[in-house]
Amino acid sequence: MVVENGCYGGRILTVDLSKKEGKRQKISDAFAMKYLGGDGFGAYFLNKLVPGNADPLGKENVLIMAPGLLTGTAAPTAGKTSFFAKSPLTGGWGEGVMGGRIGFALKQAGYDALIITGMADKPSYLLINDDEVMVKSAEHLWGKFTRESTEEIKKDEGDVVVASIGPGGEKKVKYAIIDSEERQAGRGGLGAVMGSKNLKAIAIKGSRDIKVADPEKMMELLDRWYKIMIESPAFNDDGKYGTGEFLEWMNAERGTFPTRNWREGVFDERKEIDPYYWAPRYTIKNKACIQCVKPCGKAFVIKGKYEGALDGVEYETLFSLGSNCGNPSIEALAKANELCDLYGIDTISAGGAIGFAMDLYENGILGEKDADGIDLRFGNGDAVVKMVEKIGKREGLGDLLAEGVKRAAEKIGKGADKYAVHVRGMEPPAYDVRGIKGMGLAFMTSPRGACHLRSGAYALELTGKFWKYEGVDRFSADGKGQEIADMENFMAIYDALGVCKFSRGMFLLDGFAELLEAAIGERMGESELLVIGERINNLKHIFNIKCGWTREDSKLPPKIRIPIPEGVAKGSFISENEEKKMLNDYFEARGWDKKGIPKEKTLKKLEIEEFMK
Amino acid sequence: MFVKAIPEKCSGCMECEMVCSMTHWKVVNPLKSGIRVEKKSVTEDIPHLCTHGEDCNFECVDACKFDAMKKDNGRVYVDYEKCTGCRLCEKACPIGAVWIFEKKAYKCDLCGGDPMCVKYCSQGALELVEG
Repeated sequence: MVVENGCYGGRILTVDLSKKEGKRQKISDAFAMKYLGGDGFGAYFLNKLVPGNADPLGKENVLIMAPGLLTGTAAPTAGKTSFFAKSPLTGGWGEGVMGGRIGFALKQAGYDALIITGMADKPSYLLINDDEVMVKSAEHLWGKFTRESTEEIKKDEGDVVVASIGPGGEKKVKYAIIDSEERQAGRGGLGAVMGSKNLKAIAIKGSRDIKVADPEKMMELLDRWYKIMIESPAFNDDGKYGTGEFLEWMNAERGTFPTRNWREGVFDERKEIDPYYWAPRYTIKNKACIQCVKPCGKAFVIKGKYEGALDGVEYETLFSLGSNCGNPSIEALAKANELCDLYGIDTISAGGAIGFAMDLYENGILGEKDADGIDLRFGNGDAVVKMVEKIGKREGLGDLLAEGVKRAAEKIGKGADKYAVHVRGMEPPAYDVRGIKGMGLAFMTSPRGACHLRSGAYALELTGKFWKYEGVDRFSADGKGQEIADMENFMAIYDALGVCKFSRGMFLLDGFAELLEAAIGERMGESELLVIGERINNLKHIFNIKCGWTREDSKLPPKIRIPIPEGVAKGSFISENEEKKMLNDYFEARGWDKKGIPKEKTLKKLEIEEFMK
Repeated sequence: MFVKAIPEKCSGCMECEMVCSMTHWKVVNPLKSGIRVEKKSVTEDIPHLCTHGEDCNFECVDACKFDAMKKDNGRVYVDYEKCTGCRLCEKACPIGAVWIFEKKAYKCDLCGGDPMCVKYCSQGALELVEG
């Protein structure tokens, strides 16, 4: 009875853009309990619906949107929504999580997932109004920025929630995003999948009640978690300074803030990109994801040359469009960040690509002519702004960088691959894993390519303790296989429930047991939840195997072999042996063979044998 | 007594709408909430709710032809036994703080003096003004 009594919509909506028709199917209790929601539903449906050899930008790919199980229950910080497709950036498992209202709206329309198949014959947007589904013309919106498209659709359709792509998605930038009210499904190019389907936007209006199994209990838990959250140090830190609060610590105390395309682990020119400098100057208020009581987002009012930038800069972007490009200017950074959002491209990959181009420029592999006359030396913030625009438009060098560093390096040749920092085609986030070895493993094992959030293990590695772990040594490669597998299983539950990972210091798995009982009437303990997390991770990996993944693909880039040159992590790097050992340990912890293929007994334990056939 | 909204502090999280509908109707549904946050632009999130006479002359009470909009000790609330969802109150409200959904009017009733939206607004964007 979890579906009927709990917070499920109870239905999956599939829209075929080629035929312009929608179909509804019900979900069963058994299905709900096996996969929970969000990440779990994505892992199931992507495996079921997309063949391994599908062209990510072709008709066979599907785009899935699934709100987390707790999204729409008022539980604090539990309002996330995930998008899934085969990734055009990595050619494998693609996933992006956002905190926009779009998933909540879907649930209010009575659906636990939206599956979009086929391809529209001309630019279109999808309108879902409870049971009504329409594919409408978006020809007047094509070419418009994410924010403009959203505003135009709201003008025409009234009070709808919109998720939209920008010109970057239309032009199939390999790391194009999906934006919903300044929250983004950022990684892996899911916006390009929308673009390939001629789908400019998804607009949803739902009017149904979202009920929970035990409303009194839910209000009681809400009260308890609300107090825990607003009394936590994170409430103050995130509230005042956003996700970049620990930037100085990452530099001075840990020496692992990747700088100038991963040459250094400390950014000496960091003064003005540190939130302690810019937040008091430019922040006008906090901006939250839905259901979040401890918001880390910021609304900005930038002054000076780049006046007009409005959306605050997150930690990862302070690295990618900041330190990674040697860019010390918060104003240029804010502008570049804003343009990424408007063109609809991922700030992490864009900064990775621009830093890569700057490295090639300084090393004489790219010349002035290749750089379209832009002075691409590290430190030139204006050049970063110009390059973001060129990538968004796929113009000149931007067209090449829009392919991501892996493909760009292949096209450039001349040894450019030595400078290309990626894992399986994805540009990594702001953790110099040379001095955080467990995160190095996590970059290799993350099903979507170099990623900090599938494991969320950076805080554990950098502080040495979290959850059941204590005394973890970030400079050691020992014991990391089990640690990362455990963390990935844990974090998959966050993504299945739709809970923000910035709550992971507060909501541990025992907290979820009660919340689930209130939300769906079924109590699930830590061990049960971890099995579901393991199932989800295995399913994502199986999808990658179907797409042609082999062990050789999970490797760290050449720069990780060069020791960090200065700072407290000086001399640290990940050797070939350490890399091999960590991966072996991980496969063993996962119950996979030496080649990384799940063993029969693992599949059986997780009840997912059918997916490997 | 009324709840004063301070839009400059609102983060747009919608927790107020959710707890309001949960408190009154035991479900989450912003369309059944007595407070609504308008997401106007990147920098503007504007909570709208009834200020119980502070910004009006109780036009909704005068407009109601079914005696469904009640005024009691400065607090205005809907009598759901009588409300027909005719929209006269919605049209009469000068600050846009009464809404009709499925033939019922929804507005702030101050939760009997301890408004849940104020209690769970982590940004201090909602303040209870006594008196």
